[in-house]
Amino acid sequence: MYTLGVDVGSVSTNMVLVDYSGRVVEKHYIRTKGRPMEAVQAGFAMLREKYHDRQIMAVGATGSGRAIAAIQIGADIVKNEITAHAVASISTMPDVKTILEIGGQDSKIIIIRNGVVTDFAMNTVCAAGTGSFLDRQAERLDIPIEEFGEFALKATVPVRIAGRCAVFAESDMIHKQQLGYNTCDIIGGLCDALVRNYLSNVAKGKEILPAVIFQGGVAANRGIHRAFETALQMPITIPQHHEVMGAIGAAILAREKIQQEDRTTKFKGFSVSTSAFQSKSFICNGCTNQCEVVSVMENQKAVGFFGDRCEKWRNKVSARALN
Amino acid sequence: MRVGIPKGLLYCKYHPFFRTFFQNLGAEVIESEETNQEIMNLGVKVCVDEACLPVKVYHGHVATLKDQCDLLVIPRIMGIYTQEYICPKFCGLPEMVAHSIPGLPEITKVPLYMHNQKEMHKWCLATGLKITPSKEKIRNAFQHAIRAQCNLETGILEPGKKMTVMLAGHPYLINDTFLNMGIVKKLRAKDIGLVTEEFASSKACGLQLKKLIKKPFWTFHRRLYGAAAAFYEQQKVNGIIYLSSFACGLDSVIIDLIRCHVGEFPMLVLKLDEHTGEAGIDTRLEAFVDMLERREQNENYNTTFGECLYRSQNPL
Repeated sequence: MYTLGVDVGSVSTNMVLVDYSGRVVEKHYIRTKGRPMEAVQAGFAMLREKYHDRQIMAVGATGSGRAIAAIQIGADIVKNEITAHAVASISTMPDVKTILEIGGQDSKIIIIRNGVVTDFAMNTVCAAGTGSFLDRQAERLDIPIEEFGEFALKATVPVRIAGRCAVFAESDMIHKQQLGYNTCDIIGGLCDALVRNYLSNVAKGKEILPAVIFQGGVAANRGIHRAFETALQMPITIPQHHEVMGAIGAAILAREKIQQEDRTTKFKGFSVSTSAFQSKSFICNGCTNQCEVVSVMENQKAVGFFGDRCEKWRNKVSARALN
Repeated sequence: MRVGIPKGLLYCKYHPFFRTFFQNLGAEVIESEETNQEIMNLGVKVCVDEACLPVKVYHGHVATLKDQCDLLVIPRIMGIYTQEYICPKFCGLPEMVAHSIPGLPEITKVPLYMHNQKEMHKWCLATGLKITPSKEKIRNAFQHAIRAQCNLETGILEPGKKMTVMLAGHPYLINDTFLNMGIVKKLRAKDIGLVTEEFASSKACGLQLKKLIKKPFWTFHRRLYGAAAAFYEQQKVNGIIYLSSFACGLDSVIIDLIRCHVGEFPMLVLKLDEHTGEAGIDTRLEAFVDMLERREQNENYNTTFGECLYRSQNPL
């Protein structure tokens, strides 16, 4: 029996199957590309070839697209990313005290003492210290993001780049390029800038104690890893499954929930991969708020609504689900 | 005569005063609607880019009202407490609005000091004469207005079943359910009790303020810091949620000062701006509440040996 964890993020949709001992037996990292439902279906199509619906005892969803994914797959628990990441980190490294997590559009720091989250912070309205910033710059420099870290490691004199704002950083970088600095030094400088911004913005005022774990998609970037170690003057561990930690956390939480409540899973089955999902958005004119409401349709039947502040539409579906 | 009152900024604290005053003068009072998408869009469109969101939204309120009234009340509020200041944007509000929105009807420009009845009467006299020549009538209306204002109770106090958090921030964010994305409702749904700065006694606040090297001269600064520190010291709350509008200069000082005082005590700062997507705020609130619950449980599971039993009872 396995538990399935699904983490629908802005850049990637991750899925893991965790066995009873907490070991990851299967993981998939799929680019979301702005179409979360298709990404989930693509993941399910892969899992379907190897596993049976009956083998799944619990399902958890997390990530910025967790609400939509939960409806799509029938999740037993829907949890925010912070809790999910913390749970996964503690299960891989019980004495962890600080978690640095950098994802696509969010970056966060989670402070853990005695195995409990005692403080956390997320980036505010700015995305300068996140993965999508690096993604964008890699694209501009015409370097695959996977090789970005290697380039950074080759830097001898990292160029100083303004990291406070993604837009300023970009113009600063273009300026340095035009002056003829080599690509490795510029990329090294970008990694330093991102880390500097992270530490002075997200991690501001937080006590960073070892053991430190660095996870999220950006943890694959060795340049950032090195920049963090240099800035913090301490070793930083990157867990083996760093890119899918959120999904692992969701899976663990789901298993607990099922055991606690002693019931069977709401999992809809891998066949979801062949359902026709559509989403349609419209402006609700019920009041002056004019919410942009999104409705999710599965095989032409509305299964969920989002974006309505008064929850008028949302309640329609939940009422139907109860009947 | 139709008098327009925009429902923005300090409206939430002083609406009975303005409404009663003008109604008693025999004017027809027209108020803008509660903040909504249309008002925000309008405000963002007309206002200068550097302003904070509440000021932009105020512009939106003015823009929706301007063609429906003959006199627009855009109070130049100079202060709300003796020898203290409020954000400078209030002192320049009439000019700021008039600069960005063309075609305004007559607007009120006389300075208004909300902590001094004599000064408030001066404002009423200068403004009231535009409506009626009778000074007696103005005096009468003023007295009604003061009485109505005194009856207003502001602030939120909702005891929670398990936990209570302080909801801190400028009143125009806390009272605007559109700007704060219904945070009060969201916290209520999570069974979290709420208390705002209004419910900290001035004695308790004063005690905390004495510890500072210098008394804050901004009223909101004094109140928010004093209340947060007092609630923390008296262990009345389990955490602090601070609502802040992006680019608020005052908040940048207050937040850091509170942080310095409370140290590792749970505090969540939510930056509000034009975005209408609620995912960001939901995630943070949910994680914050999770954290409070887990911290609470953890403290309860501490044994006399100083070892934490929490992990063994629940592997998370």
